Amino acid sequence: MTATAPMIEVAGVTKHFRRKTDLAERLAMRVGLAEEPPTVHALDDVSLQIAEGEVVGLVGESGCGKSTLGRVVAGMLPVTSGQVARDGKDIATLKGAEARAMRLATQIIFQDPMSSLNPRKKVIDIIGEAPRLHGLVKRGEVRAEVERLMGLVGLDPAMANRYPHQFSGGQRQRIGIARALAVNPDFLICDESIAALDVSIQAQVINLLVRLREELSLTLLFISHDLSVVRYISDRVVIMYLGRVVETAPTDRIFDAARHPYTQALLEEIPRIDRRGHRFSSVKGEIPSPVNPPRGCHFHPRCPLAMDKCRVERPALIQASPGHSVACHLDGGTGRPLSEAGVMTGDTPSKD
Amino acid sequence: MSDPLLEVRGLRTWFETPKGTVKAVDGVDLTLERGEILGLVGESGSGKSITGFSLLGLVDPPGRVVEGDIRFLGEDLRSASPRRLRDLRGNRIAMIFQDPMMTLNPVLRIGTQMIETVRAHAKVSKAEARAMARDALGQVGIPHPDERIDAYPHEFSGGMRQRVAIAIALLHKPDLIIADEPTTALDVTIQSQILSEVQSLTREMGMGLIWISHDLGVVGQLANKVAVMYAGRIVERGTVDEVLDAPRHPYTRGLIDSLPMENDRGQPLRQIPGNAPPPLGRPEGCPFRPRCARATDTCLSEPLETEAQGRGWRCFNPLEEEAMA
Repeated sequence: MTATAPMIEVAGVTKHFRRKTDLAERLAMRVGLAEEPPTVHALDDVSLQIAEGEVVGLVGESGCGKSTLGRVVAGMLPVTSGQVARDGKDIATLKGAEARAMRLATQIIFQDPMSSLNPRKKVIDIIGEAPRLHGLVKRGEVRAEVERLMGLVGLDPAMANRYPHQFSGGQRQRIGIARALAVNPDFLICDESIAALDVSIQAQVINLLVRLREELSLTLLFISHDLSVVRYISDRVVIMYLGRVVETAPTDRIFDAARHPYTQALLEEIPRIDRRGHRFSSVKGEIPSPVNPPRGCHFHPRCPLAMDKCRVERPALIQASPGHSVACHLDGGTGRPLSEAGVMTGDTPSKD
Repeated sequence: MSDPLLEVRGLRTWFETPKGTVKAVDGVDLTLERGEILGLVGESGSGKSITGFSLLGLVDPPGRVVEGDIRFLGEDLRSASPRRLRDLRGNRIAMIFQDPMMTLNPVLRIGTQMIETVRAHAKVSKAEARAMARDALGQVGIPHPDERIDAYPHEFSGGMRQRVAIAIALLHKPDLIIADEPTTALDVTIQSQILSEVQSLTREMGMGLIWISHDLGVVGQLANKVAVMYAGRIVERGTVDEVLDAPRHPYTRGLIDSLPMENDRGQPLRQIPGNAPPPLGRPEGCPFRPRCARATDTCLSEPLETEAQGRGWRCFNPLEEEAMA
């Protein structure tokens, strides 16, 4: 374990999606009768590091590319350009046993356990299949191993012979977690893993993840649209908007001293029970389509502080203070803390 | 004093299934006045949506409203004829669903659907109906309503589609709107925009609004009154300040405490142990008993509601009244 190299290093990753064309379409395109299918710019030059043992919260609204980034980091999707390195090695170049080891060491937990658990398989097979196939446990020891894992995630081992539909939503999510842990990963990607759960069950699963992280010294990439959950669980937060990272900082910095207007707006919109009679809505407009993102800063059409520069030039992700980076043209490219910007009204900054 | 906008007493909606009777709604009382927003809060399976459906007579067999009194401006809706209910629905009482595609027909332009809705309840020309539809679209913040009225539902984003569904609900300036988790599927910034529109429309038009949600945060910011449902019953109700600042029912307290925003980082989240009981296996007495730290032998019998002036709770061992912060 080296102190210098991060466990995961995402460097300048771009990911485009384009619908596959059939032969007839390609011919039509060749003779100019059809246009090329549109390209979805899911990730646009994204860089990100995750240190060993860290919990990184990845936040953004739908279409911002957070799930795509999770899948790219897990090696489930190839990149269009850029590279993802695991322990200093580009995962695209790994072959054979090394590639297999990387894939086992990184596991992903999905949002909807009902669509990621095979309804026709018993829990013992769902959890036990991967470690058996990969030779991590002997055939005769699978049951004992599954029972140990079920105990670990707070499921009754006596229920090993049941099917997923016989469990509640929270229990199913625990099955998904046990399945991910079955191959001894050191890195877990949770993609909206608790979004579909009721509040009281959500708290139970969050507590489980926090406990497992400590017991198994896991590294976590926690993808969510819910800043209040991310605040609770993460050491560091990464905010994405329309395929780009707009701000990243230690969790306390994000919540106390966010510098990007989009982050500030997101914080303002968290529904909170202590904000009675709150006046809603500080961000106007819709999230633009990733097929045709706006020029310059992607957030400029909705930003109350947008300047001419924001409409043409993409702001670089610049370090504003140690560990805190922002992509915003305000104040020489480091964004602006809310206290100076007024309450998102575009007031002139008051300087004492 | 005139009749309240909506008064519900002892509503029970049961579903007969081969395995037994599912008591989805099992004794619900509600009162709503004009201009008020009531947040109906509960987790999945608590009966909050079925309560909404029951009010409009929209429960399909094997479900049936078996008991209770639903009065809309004094009129008994339970004994109203299907014809009278059809008259009221979409006209005086409107409903907004979580998925706007439940309201919208994907193969018709939204203008066509809206004109149809207008003319179903009012004798107006097509041109007048179209003007009303356009105004409603403008009211909910859809840009360029004159052009967008001729678009198909798939040409709108999720947030805009939900606005169209809200515009349809507003067409006849209803007295009461029942909204079933309409912003749950939307992004936070879009949810916030819609909540803002809904809040000001309710105020301006003097409508009553029942906002069904699992999100205490949204309800706290939007509503005047809250009713918390658990296992088919309202376990606590009152004004937003009363219920959220000084909850008396241990379930409400547990829900508030388990919100990540109410917890310190580094400490385990305070959680409610266990799961909600399955609809066919609810425990005797208080259904929250198996998950409740304050439960005693008394809780084996059914708790009745302690109520005074709209503030009520169903618990034998309620929490002490806390000093208001």
